[in-house]
Amino acid sequence: MNPIDPRIHQALDGEIARGNLPADLRRAVERLDAAAELLAAAAPAAGLESRVMAGIRRPLPSRARRLVRWLSTPQTVMVRIRPAWSLALAAAVTLLALVPLGDRWGGPMLGEHEGIAQFVGRFPGARSVHVVGSFNDWRTGTIALEGPDHDGVWRGALVLPAGTYEYMFVVDGERWIPDHLAEREVADNFGRENSIVIVRAVRR
Amino acid sequence: MGVRGDPSDAEVVARVLGGDREVFGLVIRRYETGLVRFATRMLGSSDAAADAVAESFVRAYRHLASCRDPARLRTWLYRIVANRCKSHLARRPIADVPLDDAPPVADPADSHGALERAEQLALVERALAQLSPEKREAFVLKHVEGLSYQEMAAVTGERIPTLKMRVHRAREALLHVLEDHA
Repeated sequence: MNPIDPRIHQALDGEIARGNLPADLRRAVERLDAAAELLAAAAPAAGLESRVMAGIRRPLPSRARRLVRWLSTPQTVMVRIRPAWSLALAAAVTLLALVPLGDRWGGPMLGEHEGIAQFVGRFPGARSVHVVGSFNDWRTGTIALEGPDHDGVWRGALVLPAGTYEYMFVVDGERWIPDHLAEREVADNFGRENSIVIVRAVRR
Repeated sequence: MGVRGDPSDAEVVARVLGGDREVFGLVIRRYETGLVRFATRMLGSSDAAADAVAESFVRAYRHLASCRDPARLRTWLYRIVANRCKSHLARRPIADVPLDDAPPVADPADSHGALERAEQLALVERALAQLSPEKREAFVLKHVEGLSYQEMAAVTGERIPTLKMRVHRAREALLHVLEDHA
């Protein structure tokens, strides 16, 4: 497709006066204006207030029911990759896969079907960061992350039975924030978006 | 306070977070029309748009505490709806972008001008549906919703030069279609 005269863009972006355009370019600008006006004018009335307020008043279903519904519903997983973080994450995962943590570092001895979930989040200015999830029945204030370091990064690790868990961070005891570095995120039909961590058994 | 004593967005957010749940209705009344219009243009279906916006409002209510700048609540809501639309579009085949009203049905009571306007709208809607979701989003936010490039960046998480490029490409595509049918 051929690009159009740049003066059309400049006029539409308010960088030059439309009155100064040659007649053919002014017609093009007016055509696009008219198209936008048509799209803006044809706004359907949806009347969503009562529907939304009913959804807000309805209590959330239990975590178990939501998990069952999620497992039985086709899901789309969207992953946005930040190369630097992804490389660091890949390195960490590789390290975890190659090094038997419990034996060499004197860390926790892992059971046959247990693995380590690592949680890392950057929350500059936060006073406290906890992680909550399906592994602790979403109880707040029980699993604190350590930090912050000089970059505002908080970290923590948990030994968990191998499996898939949903979780979120709770910052300063009140802000629930998904982990944007999570392996996956899942949204249910009730407006929440939880992060997913998959714990694999270190010993197989 | 806002105009004629209406509470500002920041005040409404503070009251909802303080436990006055019903005040959230004011947020819905204030922004529903624009958000549904945006979602309709993104999804090509007013029913799907209404569902997406309703889900987005519930999500916004549940996560209201994470709205960093309540004074920019509008932009934050557009961001939630935009993400919901992207998830919706990702779940269905690329070619499946329905149009609610294409082509328009002639009503004997319509004036010639109204019919011509409806045909023109159908043409613009079809051209819009042919754009990639990213270009469609950029054009609608800029020219239909009237957002600045700074606001669009806050909504989409993209850089301003990227958004300008998308708007330019969308304008070019639409203009070619419109000129072909002129």
